[in-house]
Amino acid sequence: MMEFQPGEERGKDGRRIIKVRKEDLVSTLSKLKSEGYIHLSLITGVDRKDFIEVVYHLHSFERNEYISVKTVTYNSEVPSVTSLWKSADWEEREEYDLVGIRFIGHPNLKRLFLPENWVGHPLRKDYDLKNVQYINVDEEGEDYATFDPGDGW
Amino acid sequence: MVAMSDWVELNIGPHHPSTHGVLRLKARVEGEMVREVEPVIGYLHRNAEKLCENTFFCDNIIYFDRMDYVGAPGMEVGYLEAAEKLLGVFPPERAVWIRTIMAELSRIASHLIWLAAFGLELGMLTPFFYCFDLRESILTIFVEASGSRLLTNYCSIGGVYQDFNEKITDEVEKFVQDAPKKVEEINSLFIKNDIFISRNKGIGVLDKNVAIEYGVTGHMLRASGVEYDVRKAEPYLAYSKVNFEIPTSTKGDNLARYLVRIEEIRQSIKIISQSIKKLPEGPFFNPKAKKSMMIRLRGDGEVYARTESSKGEFGVYIVGDGGVKPYRVRVRSPSLRNLSVMRELGRNVMIADLVSILGTTDLVFGEIDR
Repeated sequence: MMEFQPGEERGKDGRRIIKVRKEDLVSTLSKLKSEGYIHLSLITGVDRKDFIEVVYHLHSFERNEYISVKTVTYNSEVPSVTSLWKSADWEEREEYDLVGIRFIGHPNLKRLFLPENWVGHPLRKDYDLKNVQYINVDEEGEDYATFDPGDGW
Repeated sequence: MVAMSDWVELNIGPHHPSTHGVLRLKARVEGEMVREVEPVIGYLHRNAEKLCENTFFCDNIIYFDRMDYVGAPGMEVGYLEAAEKLLGVFPPERAVWIRTIMAELSRIASHLIWLAAFGLELGMLTPFFYCFDLRESILTIFVEASGSRLLTNYCSIGGVYQDFNEKITDEVEKFVQDAPKKVEEINSLFIKNDIFISRNKGIGVLDKNVAIEYGVTGHMLRASGVEYDVRKAEPYLAYSKVNFEIPTSTKGDNLARYLVRIEEIRQSIKIISQSIKKLPEGPFFNPKAKKSMMIRLRGDGEVYARTESSKGEFGVYIVGDGGVKPYRVRVRSPSLRNLSVMRELGRNVMIADLVSILGTTDLVFGEIDR
């Protein structure tokens, strides 16, 4: 396993990739935001089995360029950036829902697409596709999932 | 001052026709005024990102068709921009121009279906037929090129599925000649209608800074005064070789968003008319990606590619691990960000205005829920 080294490198398409430790994530992003990278394009969580990589894509309207900021987490916890961008609210909820990253400091960290009692996070590499889960609607109109371990598909 | 208990929680959707499919809005209403709106999504969730991880690079295109199903070729272009950079297989010049034409046709097709639905939401039935009439001529081109009306699966890695024959180029030329007049006709149906103006002017004003905070892109951002279009900011396909302008407005209301979109249709027609003239001769696919080789293409590294879909900035982030299937695919859905700003726009508006604001945001749920 390669040790994560903070620093800067160039991606395949020539963009800047800044690697930071997750303790410095919020300060790095807020510095970049004040430098003009005001558009948060995308937050991605990549499950690398031993750790989870979280990638932030930012865009600057003035400079007309975009950069990525990368961090890793070994315990699925990353500080939330909802204080910097409001769009991070739903993006982090989506990544929590599907990849299972817990964003510390998020005001309303609930699942975005799946029902609240869904078992597992589908985009994890160890997610078992054999388990079948059905979505039902209760009398209040809220969704809930029923779990059925079995052969599946 | 009304106490919280006097509020009524009203569910708009998930089956209400004006919600474009399967959106559920939890609205807290006080009489006719909507005080708070909370969108609930996920009814169409299929987890296309997971499906992509279990499929070959070349087969993933069909999942992207099913995202923005009213403008499928535009989605294919978005995926292929990323996938081709990752795999190192690039399309020849003719395929690039063909894709440009298809992407712009799909943009017009998508805008027209929005325009038709938007008219219906405001109680106008007539523009619906005009829009679908014009859209039909685009779908005829899609059928001729790919064999399918909606989910075209036309672009493939390293080129396109089949060449533009004479019949298709003739139909595109005919479309370019006929369309401007028809667009003006449709526009006059809206813009000369007093009720349409009074229901949209000054309604749903979106501030520039709020739009940027929420990650809003596309026509909503441009109508709020930010000139951001990926086709200009980071030209892909043949967009750097054609002349077109980005329409913007500083008003930020429903009417501005409508006007920006109508101008976008005009600019798209302009791009198609230039592209069909410049369409070069030559092969339409890269021999590296011929059918027998396609499933053996391997990708390593990571690529984030952005394209301007009909709804806004459509981004695809692909991570490869050297295999024939992607390791991780992540999609930036523009409609999702445009919907998230409803929490701001839906504050202290009339219920009827909420429907028209929702109409101008132009949501497609295949793309939001993925």
